[in-house]
Amino acid sequence: MKHHVKLRKSVRKQLQKGNVEGTLIQSQPIWVRIFHWGFAFSLTLVILSGLQLHKPASFLALNFSKVLTIHLISCWFALGFLGIRIADALIRKDDSLIPKLQDLKHFPQLMAYYFFLRSSPPPGRKYNSGQLIIYTSWFVLFLVATLLGLASYWEGEHLIWVWRLVGGFQVIRWVKFIVSIYFLATIPVHIYLSITEDISRLQAMVTGYERKPTPNNR
Amino acid sequence: MLSRRDFLKLAVKGAVLGNFYQLITPPLAEAVAAGEVKKLPVVMIETGTCTGDSISLDNIWTPTFSDILTNIVDWRYDWTMNQVQGDAAYRILQDTYEKLPSEYILIVQGSMIQRDDGHYNHVAYEDGRLITGIDLVRRIGLKAKYVVAIGSCATYGGPVAGYPNPTQATGVQNILPERRVINVSGCPAHPDWIMGTLLHLALYGEPELEKFGRPKLFYGETIHNRCPRRADYDQGIFATDIGQKECLFRVGCKGPVTYADCPIRRWNDRFNWPIGCNTPCIGCTEPGYPDLMSPFTVHLPDIPFPGGTKVNTDSIGLGVLGLTSVAITGHVVTSLAKGRLQKNLLRSSVKVQHRPAIKKVNTYHQYRLKKTKN
Ligand code: HEM
Ligand code: SF4
Ligand code: SF4
Repeated sequence: MKHHVKLRKSVRKQLQKGNVEGTLIQSQPIWVRIFHWGFAFSLTLVILSGLQLHKPASFLALNFSKVLTIHLISCWFALGFLGIRIADALIRKDDSLIPKLQDLKHFPQLMAYYFFLRSSPPPGRKYNSGQLIIYTSWFVLFLVATLLGLASYWEGEHLIWVWRLVGGFQVIRWVKFIVSIYFLATIPVHIYLSITEDISRLQAMVTGYERKPTPNNR
Repeated sequence: MLSRRDFLKLAVKGAVLGNFYQLITPPLAEAVAAGEVKKLPVVMIETGTCTGDSISLDNIWTPTFSDILTNIVDWRYDWTMNQVQGDAAYRILQDTYEKLPSEYILIVQGSMIQRDDGHYNHVAYEDGRLITGIDLVRRIGLKAKYVVAIGSCATYGGPVAGYPNPTQATGVQNILPERRVINVSGCPAHPDWIMGTLLHLALYGEPELEKFGRPKLFYGETIHNRCPRRADYDQGIFATDIGQKECLFRVGCKGPVTYADCPIRRWNDRFNWPIGCNTPCIGCTEPGYPDLMSPFTVHLPDIPFPGGTKVNTDSIGLGVLGLTSVAITGHVVTSLAKGRLQKNLLRSSVKVQHRPAIKKVNTYHQYRLKKTKN
């Protein structure tokens, strides 16, 4: 056992020799990480099963009532994870996901950065204006799709005002399909930017910790 | 007299056995003869319509439509059934309106043509003036005991209100907001749905209505929920072409989104119904039919673009996903070319100058005496 400790000390020494600057700061608390990965997984299931309900791929030959069950259950899970995140935000008084005017003012500069007209992104809070816009749209659209989903699930027994508002079952389906396409178009952008912009942010979503300030080694 | 509960039972039993009127008319005729129920005065106004619902109504088999007309209802004004014409016929409508307010039932067949104050649809000639459909329906409707819209056009606008809706046609409810309109939709409405609703009105008053104003009695459940091919659907066994014996979901069946009792009632004296002859339900009883239901052979409606082109939803979906892929690929290539990708990754990851390496130096074995029993 003694040897072990010695070994680790020496490793730590060697590590200190490397010029790693900054300290590890917790940026993603445990509930945020649980929400993120849980929601990502269940929403993926919701969307894939929804698309299967939309247009059954006959080569899969899936049992259709099971597809619907998967769709419904994963949606309840997604809602649950979202609930966790909302509760977490309320308890920690965390407003990092609420877009503010100050954030949106930076949006043109951010776009300029993404289109290679600027060399660095504008300053921002925890999330930049683009992220805030996408996350907020996801939040709203997820709730819209859920409401419409519940309306179709109850087949006009409950939520009658929703039916009257949208004008029928086909419109409900249609809106949900378009919402799914929106998710399918924006999720890859989200993944792409999170792996290519700042990899330590991705690490933070797994371990919870992020190195601040960024190592900035060139 | 027949109780309301018995009536509701008969409406379903009659659908299954196909003898709704046979079951329902004798007790009714007796009740009328005994003076328990008054013969119901009915007037029908046809506006923007093909008269298909009248033809459908003629399709009542046993007893025939004429039995019902003579024994049960007081059918007063109806273009296809009138025994007189011109002023004489119109006077009957006027008389009913003036002498029997809050007693007669108004049936409307056809959509409400709104463009240019309704002048593309004249339905009467009064004091040298042409009367529009909207005006007459509003006037007669405001004093009626019940207003019943029959067929897709009168209920929700139907084919007449289809894209691009040149006459700005709409359903009766929209031009009669003061009244609750009872919607008996369908293209055409099934004779049982029309007559069943009228009989319910005569005997027990307004039937329970569902979300879009249709009697729950007939429109309470989706086609899909009662379809004989539902087992196929649940197991994922789908027809790949119209004419095959499996569930028709993949060829655009609108059964899952359509409320009506066709699977048990069927059509043409119970002879058959669309899914029974291997063609998809086209959703004719729903608001938004036909635009929201067409093309009849695909799942979701096409999206109209300015200029009159229509694009399939699936192509739009694929198009959007294609654009995203192109955008991301383009961004990757540009980022690589400009060195941004490399820079970002280097900047945000940790570089250790002396990468610590560990190698196994020695292996220790520990030995211990075995515990032996005695
Ligand atoms: C973000 C949330 C959701 C998304 C993205 C989504 C997506 C979809 C999609 C794409 C379809 C196929 C529509 C079509 O026929 O083309 C669908 C169908 C369906 N969804 Fe969802 N859905 C969501 C939430 C829900 C929820 C919360 C429920 C119920 C509690 C639900 C119940 C249903 C049902 C019953 C269908 C079948 C409708 C039909 O007969 O076509 N969905 N969903
Ligand atoms: S044929 Fe149509 S109504 Fe029947 S189970 Fe299939 S989708 Fe449903
Ligand atoms: S099966 Fe469908 S399209 Fe045919 S009459 Fe019934 S509701 Fe209308």
